[in-house]
Amino acid sequence: MKVLIADDEHLARARLRTLLEALPDIEVVGEASDGRDAVLKAQSLGAETLLLDIRMPVMDGLEAAQHIATLDPQPAVIFCTAYDQYAVSAFEAQALDYLVKPIRRERLIEALSRARRFVKPAQIEQTRETLDGDRRRTHLCARLRGNLHLVPVNEISHLQAEDKYVVVNYPGGAVLVEDTLKSLEAEFPDLFVRIHRNCLVARDRIRALKRQPDGGVVAELERVEGELEVSRRNLPGLRKLVKKL
Amino acid sequence: MPTGSKSAFSLPTDPAPWLPEFCALPVLGAVLLMAQMVVLVVLLAPGPQGLAWFSLQQFAAGSFLAYLVALSAALLLCLLRTPLLRIGPVVGAMLALLLVALVAAGISALVFWLDFALETRVAVRHDGIGRMVLETSLLSGLVAAGALRYFYVREQWSAQVEVQARSQMDALQARINPHFLFNSMNTIASLIQIDPDLAERAVEDLSDLFRAALGTRPGPTSLGGEIELIRRYLAIEQLRLGPRLKVDWDVDSLPQQLEIPPLLLQPLVENAILHGIQALPEGGTVAIHGHVTGRIVQIVIRNPRPRVAFDEPTSNRHAVDNIRQRIAFHFGERGALEADAGEGYYACTVRLPLP
Repeated sequence: MKVLIADDEHLARARLRTLLEALPDIEVVGEASDGRDAVLKAQSLGAETLLLDIRMPVMDGLEAAQHIATLDPQPAVIFCTAYDQYAVSAFEAQALDYLVKPIRRERLIEALSRARRFVKPAQIEQTRETLDGDRRRTHLCARLRGNLHLVPVNEISHLQAEDKYVVVNYPGGAVLVEDTLKSLEAEFPDLFVRIHRNCLVARDRIRALKRQPDGGVVAELERVEGELEVSRRNLPGLRKLVKKL
Repeated sequence: MPTGSKSAFSLPTDPAPWLPEFCALPVLGAVLLMAQMVVLVVLLAPGPQGLAWFSLQQFAAGSFLAYLVALSAALLLCLLRTPLLRIGPVVGAMLALLLVALVAAGISALVFWLDFALETRVAVRHDGIGRMVLETSLLSGLVAAGALRYFYVREQWSAQVEVQARSQMDALQARINPHFLFNSMNTIASLIQIDPDLAERAVEDLSDLFRAALGTRPGPTSLGGEIELIRRYLAIEQLRLGPRLKVDWDVDSLPQQLEIPPLLLQPLVENAILHGIQALPEGGTVAIHGHVTGRIVQIVIRNPRPRVAFDEPTSNRHAVDNIRQRIAFHFGERGALEADAGEGYYACTVRLPLP
């Protein structure tokens, strides 16, 4: 079984590696030091099981698991946590596999042998909300030529609806995600504002609103070329916001 | 010292409201009891011929009047509580007292008229309606003023007791952070194989830390002792975080003997690690700088943190509030804790007065 270790602490990874390497039929394919790293490596190294620490920088273990659950084939995820009675009860409520640190050899063997492979993203989302009171992601997950691609939410300049997809625009380019504009607006109400039926823009990126010769209004965004159409309906709210900024 | 946005850190507790909820049963009970006492005092008050004796009839009639006034006034204040509170304590309290006096005037006039009409002739005094209405409303206003003051002081007192109890409990919980304990144990378990000497030192540091945290001596500690404890704490975190954690110390000029409540600074350093260094993949430097200016000791704990648009973690705010309360209890108004959350950094400034 190909196992990936994800923990931001060097010594915690070292210990897991020692434990795992002593087991038969286990191959440690890699180590990741944050959640984002874990998602990308899970895919590129073809990990079958991930040992995911909860508390990691950039992206925590729960959000990483949420993205990992969309991979195909889907790896199994075992969460590791130092101690948290809330975490443990939340994991149990959603039937997620977990281990408490310091991890015992016997427990590790047991967890590996029955790690669940078909965890739904919604189960993890629910757990995150229980634990943090918040289900907002730090990254959006896009597919680029069959590969998973993670876009940090705070780098996004604007989101545009196009057919069944949403185009995510950020300094690194534009990618498609399967979320809807409506769900993204609800998930990040403090980050994005609607300027048109088919467009959300990052609040702190709005540079100016301009009236066009034909009477329509367009928005200019920082570090974004071109202008975005503002609908009549969203204009009054947007003007208020721009004044506040 | 930057003192930018403090929005995330409002004062920990609202001041006690100056107007109680008169519809609440315990308050209503107290109001009725007060009314009854006033009736007794008035009836027993010595007149020109010495201590007055009163008839049962007088007592019943007086009580009836007093209850009626008390209940109506309470009901009115209960209904008008929100607008009165909005007006503010000084004008609001004046208005409340005026309302009570008016209610008393109205009701005593009503009772006078009833008494007259029914010819019971209990309450009617020879000096007429004007005197009775004036006396009743004056007395009610005065008693109401006393009652408001009493409720206010009691409310403040109980709020203070609550804050004290909560801060003690928080302090206890902060001392024994299970996450820290088990993470440290995990680190040590790993070190035993890789570097047994380092593991041994980690066990010693952890023991010192927990000995202090479990509070064999509950009294105040010295600033020097607290700094030593922070050094031990950071030694353990250093093992865990490796090169990601750098510490910039500048505390040599601080008075080592200054008495402070135990674990006043360590939780702030712990926050700097948990929400700052640990949240950054590349880590960063925690700066702990202390200086004495005049008679004030100033200690600044500053750390980098991720530039995200999301809010401050609540656990952090909790710890900051708790320490602010403990500083207030121990040092009064001259002590302070300011939190400054800026773009990409977070800083706490603790100010403690020298004795």
